[in-house]
Amino acid sequence: MKLGTRRPPWRKGTGNGEHTLAGAYAMDALSAPDRAAFERHLAGCEDCSQEIAGLREATARLAAAAAVTPPPGFKERVLAAAVITRQQAPAEGAAGSPAAGTLTAGTPGAVLGPVPWLHWLARQGWRVRLAAAAGAVVTVAVLGAAVAFGLANGSMRQQLDQAQSSSQQIAAVLTAQDAVMRTDGVSGGGTVTIVMSHSRHALVFTAAGLHALPSSRTYELWLVGPAGDRPVGMLAAGRHGTTGPVIASGLRPGDHLILTAEPAGGASRPHMPMMLDVVL
Amino acid sequence: MTASDRPEPGNPARHAPKAGPGADLAAQLGLVARGDAAAFEAVYEQVGPAVLGLVRRVIRDPAQSEEVAQDVLLEVWRTAFKFDASRGSALAWVMMLAHRRAVDRVRSVQKESERERRTATADIPYDEVTEAVESRLDRERVRRCLGSLTELQRESVTLAYYGGYTYGQVAILLGVPTGTVKTRMRDALIRLRDCLGVTA
Repeated sequence: MKLGTRRPPWRKGTGNGEHTLAGAYAMDALSAPDRAAFERHLAGCEDCSQEIAGLREATARLAAAAAVTPPPGFKERVLAAAVITRQQAPAEGAAGSPAAGTLTAGTPGAVLGPVPWLHWLARQGWRVRLAAAAGAVVTVAVLGAAVAFGLANGSMRQQLDQAQSSSQQIAAVLTAQDAVMRTDGVSGGGTVTIVMSHSRHALVFTAAGLHALPSSRTYELWLVGPAGDRPVGMLAAGRHGTTGPVIASGLRPGDHLILTAEPAGGASRPHMPMMLDVVL
Repeated sequence: MTASDRPEPGNPARHAPKAGPGADLAAQLGLVARGDAAAFEAVYEQVGPAVLGLVRRVIRDPAQSEEVAQDVLLEVWRTAFKFDASRGSALAWVMMLAHRRAVDRVRSVQKESERERRTATADIPYDEVTEAVESRLDRERVRRCLGSLTELQRESVTLAYYGGYTYGQVAILLGVPTGTVKTRMRDALIRLRDCLGVTA
């Protein structure tokens, strides 16, 4: 055995100090307090860091040996999520900048800023590649959005079909210069993601994790405000309570977007309670 | 130290990555850090199945595993600039992120399902480690190297790495003193490292 060939200096002694935790540390097998203590030790021990790095290479091979074939759609969801996830910038001074918002983070009420991904797609050459396959940039935009919004489910195909009729409108919202994205929690469970463009007077809505309703009830989305209450549409829940993308157009000043549970078939007016009330 | 499998001692930080997927992966991460989506796709191709597989090994629940694996891959996307080739391979960096997240997840929910997981994990023979693998890396070698460990070493590694247990928990599961587990873990990884011929 070659154990001795890389024996670091401390191994020459008989001590049983903190560095014996190197193996456990490399396998994340330390409790939080132990980990913190060991990292303080590491900070002053270059040899330890070297050894940890070597041990981590070994664990990486253990990881690689556990590889599985991902389920269908997994890759697409990951790539689509990346496209709409802002990357962290390296901090100029101290290390560790605050995490950028991500769709999966689901920060309630967080406004995530302008939607950069379409300009970005074009810059990265995705548009060219995908458009060649899909035939139209608009389709690409809808596809990308639909897949991305369906982060938590695998049933995007049907939703994509549903979305085809309004695909041009959806693409227009997503590509609008003033498009902003926000996520909000639904009382009773679930998260909605809204991409809104004031210049287009429209928003694109999608939800995940909605609580299942009995078959006699359905979720319905409304615009309410000084201009009156207008139904946007009923939400056909997919697997894992996922729905959308749904477009709501004709936004007026002072509108709220609300979500209610109504009798199957829909209602003429929204009924309490509101599960979501977003001031637009 | 023997020179045979070590990088240039005077310049460990910038040693040329070995040819093959590893070198490619490091280069691709550099591109990802600059927002290159095509590079991210290439990174996914190389690490996605292993990230999901590792996370699933630790967490077990397929739906949760998928969610965590996706979070890990997005973390790679968001924080690729943090990868530092002088501190290890790109594969090791990604797998460290994956393993930490998976372990954090199971420890945060450990109380409710502790007994169930304990039974399940302890029952896994080590040679299932490489079952259902689509890895580009040499899984047979991993299997052989795991097989070269003593039983206590192998169980310590399997329970800690694939099971997500702390060394204290492993000691309880195996009925040996914590000090013994600590040293077995370290010795086991050193042996694996040498057997696999990997260097930081």
